[in-house]
Amino acid sequence: MIDINAIISTMMNNQVNIPLLQPLIEPLLGMPVIGYLIAFILWKPFFVLILIPGFATMGIMLLILPWIERKMVARMQWRVGPREISPRTRGIVQLLADTLRFLFQEVIIHKDAHKLYFLQFPFLYFIPVLLPLLFINAGTAGNPLVPIQTDYALQIMVALISLMPVFILGVGWASNNRFAFIGTVREAFLYFAYEIPFIVIVLAMIVLYGTSNTVGVVNAQSGVWWGIIQNPLAALTFFIAMVMATARLPFEIPEADQEVSFGPFVEYSGIAFGLAYVMGYEKMYVLSAMMTMLFLGGGSGPEILGLGDLSCGIWFVLKTLIVLVIMVNLRGVYPRYRLDQGLRIGWGAMLILALVALGWSIVVMGVRL
Amino acid sequence: MKKVATPEYDIKDKLKYHVSALSTAAKEVVLPLNITTHYPRERKKMPDCFRGYILFDPERCISCFECSFVCPANAIWMKEAPSGRYYPTLDYGKCIFCHFCVDTCPGGALKQTKIHDVAYKDMDEMFTLTEEMIEPPEIIREDEGYVEYEIDKEDLSLKRTKGIDKLIVDVAPSQGVPMVSLCVEPESCLGCGICEGMCESGAVSSLKEDGMVRMKIDVDKCTGCGLCVKECSMQILRLVRK
Repeated sequence: MIDINAIISTMMNNQVNIPLLQPLIEPLLGMPVIGYLIAFILWKPFFVLILIPGFATMGIMLLILPWIERKMVARMQWRVGPREISPRTRGIVQLLADTLRFLFQEVIIHKDAHKLYFLQFPFLYFIPVLLPLLFINAGTAGNPLVPIQTDYALQIMVALISLMPVFILGVGWASNNRFAFIGTVREAFLYFAYEIPFIVIVLAMIVLYGTSNTVGVVNAQSGVWWGIIQNPLAALTFFIAMVMATARLPFEIPEADQEVSFGPFVEYSGIAFGLAYVMGYEKMYVLSAMMTMLFLGGGSGPEILGLGDLSCGIWFVLKTLIVLVIMVNLRGVYPRYRLDQGLRIGWGAMLILALVALGWSIVVMGVRL
Repeated sequence: MKKVATPEYDIKDKLKYHVSALSTAAKEVVLPLNITTHYPRERKKMPDCFRGYILFDPERCISCFECSFVCPANAIWMKEAPSGRYYPTLDYGKCIFCHFCVDTCPGGALKQTKIHDVAYKDMDEMFTLTEEMIEPPEIIREDEGYVEYEIDKEDLSLKRTKGIDKLIVDVAPSQGVPMVSLCVEPESCLGCGICEGMCESGAVSSLKEDGMVRMKIDVDKCTGCGLCVKECSMQILRLVRK
């Protein structure tokens, strides 16, 4: 027998606090069924994982981020960008129009493809994307907003993020196409080039903060002592690793349009291509959220009056958005590196920078002790 | 032999160039220049000599066939009008818009316009008859302004002006040099009468003298089209200045 009252009281003890909406929520909580629903929505783990900065925010980001990217890169290149659909809003609904177009297009699975894996992997990709969000701390020092608190959070996140390229390799293998094969092999090469500096950087931050619990990580960045100030070298290397991991320019080597025509995703069409297309953006969002948490102080910022916990969430999403915008705009600045140049950067400069950052962390820790 | 090597940069140069690239990008995001013409709503201002749709004025045509002869794409075909004169028709499916016909027309009957956006339903419709070439095609104008590109010292910039750009230019057609046909060796004339048959304006007439046929060219009536010069079997006719 499930004791529903015990469950409700557990939820009620761990609610998101929004003073501005409190007069609205109080009467709703008293109602029979709606009360349970509101209690569930405002239950901290649910709120953080599903609403802000979790799944819903990621969905909105997926809809507006490609638009921001196209618009800003167009400005850099003296063009206009998407405009014809809803010119008054500057074409912000372009992505909805694209999604509609993808939905009505036929999904073609060619004869030589592995049918099951070909359709499965773009959907399964949501698993390694969504699971790291379980450990994201969007709160401030002393006021954590995290679905699951564990001492191994950063390690689990790194493990799940390292799992993502496996799905892309699977996509490329299931496509059974020469371009997909070349793209897949390039992805595998780059995977090792960025993964080791990435892990070393996370290690450096664990050493610096003395904990791998995400609550402790944000607590260690109180005030203006954000991670980017405590260890700027690590932040820089993390950013480069992030750009490399999401295959953005200048490291757009696996997906190079002009060489291997979107690499592993060359055989996709229709809504399957839509899903494959947003795979990169999903990974970008997760990594940017991780960067915000590790280096930009989580949800810390001047509190917006009357919003309470929601204020932290808004600051967190804003910081994530800034990181994302800087990342997508590199497309208008840099040309693409060759594979060997990318590998040289990964195994050379980035690995050295990561090791120096690790040394920096150890020295800072030694001074503190 | 000079060997070209990759330029060598030290880390200071590299950092400098990275910062310069990123700052340029940031500057362009905040204060961008723009070189896009929003086409149906505004048009690019073309020069008066723009090679676009061709108009035809039958009053000025002397039926000399020059446009048809010079056309490199064989797009112009001369068609007989009810009056017995020949006028050009233009197949826009073949036309390459070189405007050799406009340049070569001695009477200035063909005229250039700035119209460049004509749509046809099928290939047959692209074959434009003489009577369709007299009036400009119907154009639905959505534009409220026109743009001009200006090149200053550093950058290309766009100058927008309100108002509608006139697509039909008011350039006086070239008058050409008045020419007449002249027989340089009357004693070699066979009297075959080809020139009389060719002449559109009735300037050539034949006279019978002592059992011989003599051709006579009326200088006032001759338009200098040169058709008789081309067709003369003895090659004794020349075009000379009036």
